[in-house]
Amino acid sequence: AGRRRTTSGEGRERQAASGAAIPDRRAPLVADWVPRRERLPRPSDPGPAAPPPPPPPMEKMSRVTTALGGSTLTGRTMHCHLDAPANAISVCRDAAQVVVAGRSIFKIYSIEEEQFVEKLNLRVGRKPSLNLSCADVVWHQMDENLLATAATNGVVVTWNLGRPSRNKQDQLFTEHKRTVNKVCFHPTEAHVLLSGSQDGFMKCFDLRRKDSVSTFSGEAEKWSIHQRLLGPLRGCPLYPLGLLVEGQSESVRDVQFSIRDYFTFASTFENGNVQLWDIRRPDRCERMFTAHNGPVFCCDWHPEDRGWLATGGRDKMVKVWDMTTHRAKEMHCVQTIASVARVKWRPECRHHLATCSMMVDHNIYVWDVRRPFVPAAMFEEHRDVTTGIAWRHPHDPSFLLSGSKDSSLCQHLFRDASQPVERANPEGLCYGLFGDLAFAAKESLVAAESGRKPYPGDRRHPMFFKRKLDPAEPFAGLASSALSVFETEPGGGSMGWFVDTAERYALTGRPLAELCDHNAKVARELGRNQVAQTWTMLRIIYCSPGLVPSANLNHSVGKGSSCGLPLMNSFNLKDMAPGLGSETRLDRNKGDTRSDTALLDSSATLITNEDNEETEGSDVPTDYLLGDAEGEEDELYLLDPEHAHPEEPEYVLPQEAFPLRHEIVDTPPGPEHLQDKADSPHVSGSEADATSLAPMDSSFSLLSVSHALYDSRLPPDFFSTLVCDMLRFYAEQGDVQMAVSVLIVLGERVRKDIDEQTQEHWYTSYIDLLQRFRLWNVSNEVVKLSTSRAISCLNQASTTLHVNCSHCKRPMSSRGWVCDRCHRCASMCAVCHHVVKGLFVWCQGCSHGGHLQHIMKWLEGSSHCPAGCGHLCEYS
Amino acid sequence: MFVARSIAADHKDLIHDVSFDFHGRRMATCSSDQSVKVWDKSESGDWHCTASWKTHSGSVWRVTWAHPEFGQVLASCSFDRTAAVWEEIVGESNDKLRGQSHWVKRTTLVDSRTSVTDVKFAPKHMGLMLATCSADGIVRIYEAPDVMNLSQWSLQHEISCKLSCSCISWNPSSSRAHSPMIAVGSDDSSPNTMAKVQIFEYNENTRKYAKAETLMTVTDPVHDIAFAPNLGRSFHILAIATKDVRIFTLKPVRKELTSSGGPTKFEIHIVAQFDNHNSQVWRVSWNITGTVLASSGDDGCVRLWKANYMDNWKCTGILKGNGSPVNGSSQQGNANPSLGSNIPNLQNSLNGSSAGRKHS
Repeated sequence: AGRRRTTSGEGRERQAASGAAIPDRRAPLVADWVPRRERLPRPSDPGPAAPPPPPPPMEKMSRVTTALGGSTLTGRTMHCHLDAPANAISVCRDAAQVVVAGRSIFKIYSIEEEQFVEKLNLRVGRKPSLNLSCADVVWHQMDENLLATAATNGVVVTWNLGRPSRNKQDQLFTEHKRTVNKVCFHPTEAHVLLSGSQDGFMKCFDLRRKDSVSTFSGEAEKWSIHQRLLGPLRGCPLYPLGLLVEGQSESVRDVQFSIRDYFTFASTFENGNVQLWDIRRPDRCERMFTAHNGPVFCCDWHPEDRGWLATGGRDKMVKVWDMTTHRAKEMHCVQTIASVARVKWRPECRHHLATCSMMVDHNIYVWDVRRPFVPAAMFEEHRDVTTGIAWRHPHDPSFLLSGSKDSSLCQHLFRDASQPVERANPEGLCYGLFGDLAFAAKESLVAAESGRKPYPGDRRHPMFFKRKLDPAEPFAGLASSALSVFETEPGGGSMGWFVDTAERYALTGRPLAELCDHNAKVARELGRNQVAQTWTMLRIIYCSPGLVPSANLNHSVGKGSSCGLPLMNSFNLKDMAPGLGSETRLDRNKGDTRSDTALLDSSATLITNEDNEETEGSDVPTDYLLGDAEGEEDELYLLDPEHAHPEEPEYVLPQEAFPLRHEIVDTPPGPEHLQDKADSPHVSGSEADATSLAPMDSSFSLLSVSHALYDSRLPPDFFSTLVCDMLRFYAEQGDVQMAVSVLIVLGERVRKDIDEQTQEHWYTSYIDLLQRFRLWNVSNEVVKLSTSRAISCLNQASTTLHVNCSHCKRPMSSRGWVCDRCHRCASMCAVCHHVVKGLFVWCQGCSHGGHLQHIMKWLEGSSHCPAGCGHLCEYS
Repeated sequence: MFVARSIAADHKDLIHDVSFDFHGRRMATCSSDQSVKVWDKSESGDWHCTASWKTHSGSVWRVTWAHPEFGQVLASCSFDRTAAVWEEIVGESNDKLRGQSHWVKRTTLVDSRTSVTDVKFAPKHMGLMLATCSADGIVRIYEAPDVMNLSQWSLQHEISCKLSCSCISWNPSSSRAHSPMIAVGSDDSSPNTMAKVQIFEYNENTRKYAKAETLMTVTDPVHDIAFAPNLGRSFHILAIATKDVRIFTLKPVRKELTSSGGPTKFEIHIVAQFDNHNSQVWRVSWNITGTVLASSGDDGCVRLWKANYMDNWKCTGILKGNGSPVNGSSQQGNANPSLGSNIPNLQNSLNGSSAGRKHS
């Protein structure tokens, strides 16, 4: 029967269940095991000398009280300094003592209410031997006096605290050749100890014997040799073998007895494998699978779901395996941030486990395996790598003990853990370029219409702590977020106006007045009346009225057309809608620094009356402006001088500063404008859907009034400070486009009044915006037109064009158009026979070409190559 | 005015950050599921996921785009104590055909010993620089001396903030008059009353960042902080997400008045403070002109704030976060001037209805 072997779990189960199939050759020890297993399926079986065990698990709650002996554990988060770094810790079954072992420490501390108290130092003797250099320590869970340590020199030592002498050392097993990484007592058997070593072997010891009772080799390739050697002994596995196979085996990192199956233990290896063994079958493992990429440092059987095994590896992962199925099935995979050195299931919390790392990371994490990405809790007390963790009591989820390389021993209260989940930001929000908003939020936040929790005054004690502490609370499931993008409707609050404005504005190449008119028209068509007003004002301020042909003027008036110059009426506050008047006056009373003159007032009025306060201003009847022009004139005069007089000296500035070169040509015809007017006030929702205060229909008669005002007395310089203030105002309102556009259009007229740095700032901001909208052409134009040195050089950086001579194929280094070697001009225009120094277009068929304009002109007349080569040129 | 377009993000855990690129045509999301996804906007306006990859071995807190001048570059930061720089690879591959793009890690910044909570690229004019902040209270500023080599970053500055940092924001101003400046927020929740927002400014003489200001009035945990885009303004606007939304203006006091060499002094004013979210505020984000602020809080809503001509900030819109259609129209806006005022009751009563909603 002993030869019947399968590697499947099922086979093993059968084997285990029918363990009595080979009773005749069983050692007394094993014969002892079997009935006990049948008698007590649970591992809570007490040792011979142990007090009565807790009853089998019925209800969690009842078990807790029983386990805790009617009095709950108390304590606080605390730590004590050890003399040396700890390598491992283990808790006594009474949950009141903890043993700490390390290279040069081996002590027992009692866990008091407020502190750790050193009870016993097991390192005795004048010259501590290497046997005391502990890699691991384990306290028997049934015998309070029994401990075992694994020494770095390969010795396994047991300790009997009941010994009367100072030296508590009990037995010494010197069978391993290298460091013993792990020792493990059988959960229910008092005398069985298992060790796993770096030398690749696991050994099972009966503490009543002097030697190991069986040896398990982790290396698969050695099986055959092993079997051959073991041949005569097969079927009698628990006899001491005394035969060790020499050879390089995979190091064993952890061994753990199963709590579910009496005979089963799991072992983990440096090559990433996990093996399941039947303790009676040392020749080969029952099952083996690759669990991790790289060493598997640790494993832990689930205390309740007995078929679950958690493994942790250098690949930073913790995996939970269901071992009850044929193949080990990966149930969960937790991704931690560093290699996993220890893993321990949390008592009473089915899905929680604690991990610590062996490098880099000093923290201890508690994970809910169903939420594998975010630790449920985090303990940050240690300053160096945590080497040992242990839950203080097998039925209390709130106390965790840990030892560390920083020479400290800690008790952590779950209540005091920091909870990364709660600090994690549940929302993401980003404003898009076009006014669209991307918003991601935790689904529970956006789904719950009601039950919004008010802001807790102190986030230290919010409700979730209570929730987290109660392990009975059902898991809310994986948190997830809803992602949505709020898009602005076309023509809505998007930045479309910006793009349109940027593309349509004329910044140069035409007389100032025309530019102003054009831009005002563009602004008005986009519903940005305030901006339109500003352009119109600029036109009036800076364009010589003297050059406006009076005939033209009269003509316009005669036709009763509006020509987009609705400026002056706004001087008269009386003409405004009553409600508005009060608004603006309020503004003025606020002592806005921008207002020192009447004109400025008016500009402030225009500007500040923004979209939030939509007005009916555009509906003010306009006829009276025409009719009452003369009457208005007086009022304007009244208003103006009282502010203007203090500025008297400025009045006499020479007229030369006044640009006289532009002429107004081509006043737009009336009807078109009426249409514009009809459209504009209703285009809203944009950044600047300001409604004009002033009636859209203005008249030239009014303009003539203003001319009368300024013509004789006010040179444009007088306004430059105001204009500058206005530009600054626009910039501060976020409309740098206006500031830069005006700056470019007005050029020298205002440039000197604004300091260079500010201008540069405006330019860079505007260029950045244009580039965001991919308005490369506009951006380049702005760069070109800018007068700021720092800006205009932007276009000349980072672009290098390497040209080769078309004749000798050598690079033309000094000049792009004449070859230094063959002294021939590289690119001749086929039309004019001159050198092309700028843009050179050529036909890709015959490679003849020339100046763009020349070629275009040529192609209008003929499709043949201008060079006479007879090619029918094609230009795309 | 707003049309909600719901996107099946398919992240396995919470999404912590959303970020648009410079041109607003790409979007990146990051999640606790340790992945980053990149979304591209199609001609029809739909968002398609063109890349999704595992970036870290912990929650990814933030993702941010570099200026496209440096390429298609993303930076992410994570609970795993690292920040990483990613670059999109352009090339002929099967991925390309499937409409997927490939991102490669260019560098991992491992200086932090605790969770890296925020990462932000510096404004373009400063070059290719990156700032990170971490839970141990240190702001680190890295620079790639060669913009063509994204795998080489040198740690230029380490600024100690004393408090666990949660968020940073570069001052975006490109003006020569404004020294590089970075604002740091802390979500330290210990019951002290230390100020949670600090502002550091680069000093040309010492070549170090020195603390310029501390916003003493902000003592609650800060979760997000954002300088408004500075389009030629002479002053700076700073939005803070704490237990409420706060907006500060920082006006530099003229240099001549301060002793030269020292940090710039600022006149700081709080211009708005709204508790309309009635709960923790998690995020603030400015529109491109720095005129509208969006905030989101535990109430699951996005609220939009805008100043009127008197620099009086008001609520101009509320968007429900679950993607349910939001009705609202600017035409109705002025019909209800009290909307968005500081009266929470009124706000809440309007919350459920769609009437009278208005936004920019």
